[in-house]
Amino acid sequence: MTVLVIILTLVIALLAVLVAGLLRSHAEVLRALHELGVSLDPDDADAAFTAGDTTIDLRTRPGVAAPRATVGGPSDVVGLTPDGGLVNVGVTGTDGLTLLAFLSSGCLTCAGFWDAFADPDQRSVEGLDAELIIVAKGPEMESEASIRALAPKGVRTVMSSDAWLDYNVPVSPYFILVQGASDNADDNGVADVAGIADVGGRIVGEGAASSWEQVANLLKQAVADAGIARGRASAKRRTGLGKSGAERRADTDEELRNAGIEPGDPSLYPTGHPDAPGAST
Amino acid sequence: MSRRLEAHGVALELPTGWDAEFSGTAPTAAQSLGGEAFQPLVVHAGNFRLPADRGDFGSGAVEAMGTRGVLVCLLEYEPASAETALFKRSRLPRSVGVNDVAPHTLQRTIAGQAGTQIFCSEAGRAFCLYVVIGSYKRRATLVPVANQVISSIQVA
Repeated sequence: MTVLVIILTLVIALLAVLVAGLLRSHAEVLRALHELGVSLDPDDADAAFTAGDTTIDLRTRPGVAAPRATVGGPSDVVGLTPDGGLVNVGVTGTDGLTLLAFLSSGCLTCAGFWDAFADPDQRSVEGLDAELIIVAKGPEMESEASIRALAPKGVRTVMSSDAWLDYNVPVSPYFILVQGASDNADDNGVADVAGIADVGGRIVGEGAASSWEQVANLLKQAVADAGIARGRASAKRRTGLGKSGAERRADTDEELRNAGIEPGDPSLYPTGHPDAPGAST
Repeated sequence: MSRRLEAHGVALELPTGWDAEFSGTAPTAAQSLGGEAFQPLVVHAGNFRLPADRGDFGSGAVEAMGTRGVLVCLLEYEPASAETALFKRSRLPRSVGVNDVAPHTLQRTIAGQAGTQIFCSEAGRAFCLYVVIGSYKRRATLVPVANQVISSIQVA
């Protein structure tokens, strides 16, 4: 009898612990929901979401850019060059990826990106064949002189407030990776001969970050998630397929030099070859 | 589907997916009279991604052009040139013939490519229309593509 009482006491104690744990867990869930602005009290006017609502007003932490509101598909970028020329960058109807970097001249975070893009080695992302286009706001909102001074050589910079509106850019810096739509491009990304086969395109990645390294990682992840193979031009560089004779010769020379084999090296000639250095003629 | 681009008195219709850039300016009245130097208008339009660094006649771009590529360049010269024999043709052509393109007409010969160059004047302005196609063998297909843009050029 005593043993039975002890066992029942232990079971009751165990159940009490379990109930206490569940209550605590429940309280933590309620507290977390409250911090997110969700209340189960239908009369709570301060809550962003109450029981019975069908939508949730999610918010980011202060200082973190809110996600871009979904708008229509990607569009070509039309604007002015920093020198005042009119420019139209085809984004949708061409094959391949276009990375639109929305930067401004004044934001501190953007300064790091302007610097990074000035260096051709830094601005390339391994495994990503994307054309970088910098998009600043138009001359009515940005200083042309500042953008002209910042615009990196070798990168097209377009001043277009319309592009910021078209893409609904929430903050600078902001990056949008667009895949143009064409199934029949040649090796250089020409969509088709008319350039108008399929002009939809899609946005495969986007986001804000404080450094180019972070953006590069996000882009690689986005491309992997989207299942986009590396471009054919890149594959050509990687594999050597489709290279011209001169390109192949240059590659071969480089590989040999890296291996310490210079022109005229005896190892390049079969034994006894009349052209080999030192061979009798 | 196309987009109309207009700057400095020159307009064209750009098919979707094409790149284009207008640089330089149209001459002012004083420049037209030869009193001042001016940065001549250069228009590049291509059905491929134009690189950032390009020469007036498309150097830098033609190397990036694939075999299906088309590049249309319109370059303006000093207004006084419009009176010279080189620019005596009185109007920009609104199309180029398939047999007008040739490999040896290129500013910089690149194997397989072909092009044509036409000097003319219109509205008192002197122009050179320079067209490059990525493949001479495909000229029957590519020249009509170039003509989509050439036929839309308007000069004021």
